[in-house]
Amino acid sequence: MKGVIFNVLEELVIETSGMVAWNNILAAAGSDGIYTSGASYDDAELFALVEQVCKALELPAETVVGIFGEYLFDQLDARHPDFVANAPDLRSFLMSVDTVIHGEVLKLYTNPNLPRFDYQNHGDGHLTMNYRSPRKLCLLAEGLIRGAAKRYDAQVSIEHKVCMHHGADHCQLDVSIS
Amino acid sequence: MSDNRQDPFEIAYLRERKIRRAAEQLLEDKTRMLHQRNLELSKTNEQLMQQQTSMLKQEKLATLGTLAAGVAHEINNPLAFVTSNISALEAYHHAYHELFKYVKALREKMSSDKVDALDEEIKKLDLDYLDEDLPMLMNETLEGLERVKKIVLSLRNFARSQEGERALSDLNEGIRSTLRLVQSEIKQGIEVKLKLEDLPLVRCNPSEINQVVLNIIVNAAHATRDRPKPYIYISSSTDENNVYISIEDNGSGMSQHTMENLFMPFFTTKPIGEGTGMGMAIAHKIIEDHGGDLQVSSNEGVGSHFTLRLPITSDQ
Repeated sequence: MKGVIFNVLEELVIETSGMVAWNNILAAAGSDGIYTSGASYDDAELFALVEQVCKALELPAETVVGIFGEYLFDQLDARHPDFVANAPDLRSFLMSVDTVIHGEVLKLYTNPNLPRFDYQNHGDGHLTMNYRSPRKLCLLAEGLIRGAAKRYDAQVSIEHKVCMHHGADHCQLDVSIS
Repeated sequence: MSDNRQDPFEIAYLRERKIRRAAEQLLEDKTRMLHQRNLELSKTNEQLMQQQTSMLKQEKLATLGTLAAGVAHEINNPLAFVTSNISALEAYHHAYHELFKYVKALREKMSSDKVDALDEEIKKLDLDYLDEDLPMLMNETLEGLERVKKIVLSLRNFARSQEGERALSDLNEGIRSTLRLVQSEIKQGIEVKLKLEDLPLVRCNPSEINQVVLNIIVNAAHATRDRPKPYIYISSSTDENNVYISIEDNGSGMSQHTMENLFMPFFTTKPIGEGTGMGMAIAHKIIEDHGGDLQVSSNEGVGSHFTLRLPITSDQ
């Protein structure tokens, strides 16, 4: 996982619970907390931190990951505003993730282990996004979609009937935009 | 102004975080720039490789041209006296044949013992067979010499260095007259479509350009021989600086190997004895000497498309 994800998690925790809380989480997870955005770190380290965040906030992992996804979108948008600027609406933004955004990420990082998306655009504000990643971070993807919807001032509902956590080979995110 | 009540370490932390983000942004920008430069360099490298391959090909052709000129010259001298001697031998044989006929006529008036002796001698020397076989041998030798002459001529054409006679010419007229010339090669059933735009006169050696067009059309006719609904489309067009002649067929097309060697002297896909393999090499050389180029695209089993470009020179 890229260091930028760790950086954003740190910012979220400090912003909501303060530096002491973040230091405690690092100590509990056995991490030194030194993350450079472009470097790659073990996925297990992030999962250990998220586990400690859940304990500190007394919230289930699904909720924390979802909230983190929304926050992550805002932070990534602040760092790379061109992607949103170049997509006129939420639907076109979501459809640009796999080719345009991930294409740019590939220019910057070697082997970033990006998830893959394929799309079915049903044309009536309904979009199916099929998510594939060995990390199975579909809930983070959901949070990112909600973060994007806020950015575009759009309402979304996401149905997640097919899920890798229940044995499927991909997650099917049915996104309704209004 | 910062709030004095705020923890100075927190202020310092936030400042450092900003610095880190700025440094990371700088790194990203530079990485992106580097990526772009890398792409450009890869593209340039690819172009250079293509140019190098093309230059090597040109060099190979130039070397072959020099070699061809030398070989043509060396073969031409003995060829001249062999041809001349064979012609003389043909005449000598005629005299010998007349003599043989005369001896045969005399035989009728000879005494039987002399006839037997003569017959014995004729049989021993196999003169009847020799008299019958010699004309055939002569003909085959002359045919062989004609082929050698054609090959030598092709080599000289390929290697020729002088510009030849150039004049302002109507290429459309050249195409039409070439088509009339190759009518016998184009089998019935091949659809020939002409779409000729008005062209400016082009300074060129018209017989050489016609030779190029003829070569391509004959090849197209051969390639479409056994194809369903065969066609050859010939068109001409122009822009500000060039005229173009396009010849497209739905023939058998060319393999990658054929495409790579198309303009190489002596490369042929025809059976031995049916082609010298010099046609397209000479065509390429002619167009190159005129400052143009000959582009070809082909798909095996689909057809081939030749585009001949000739510049409209400023001294028109």
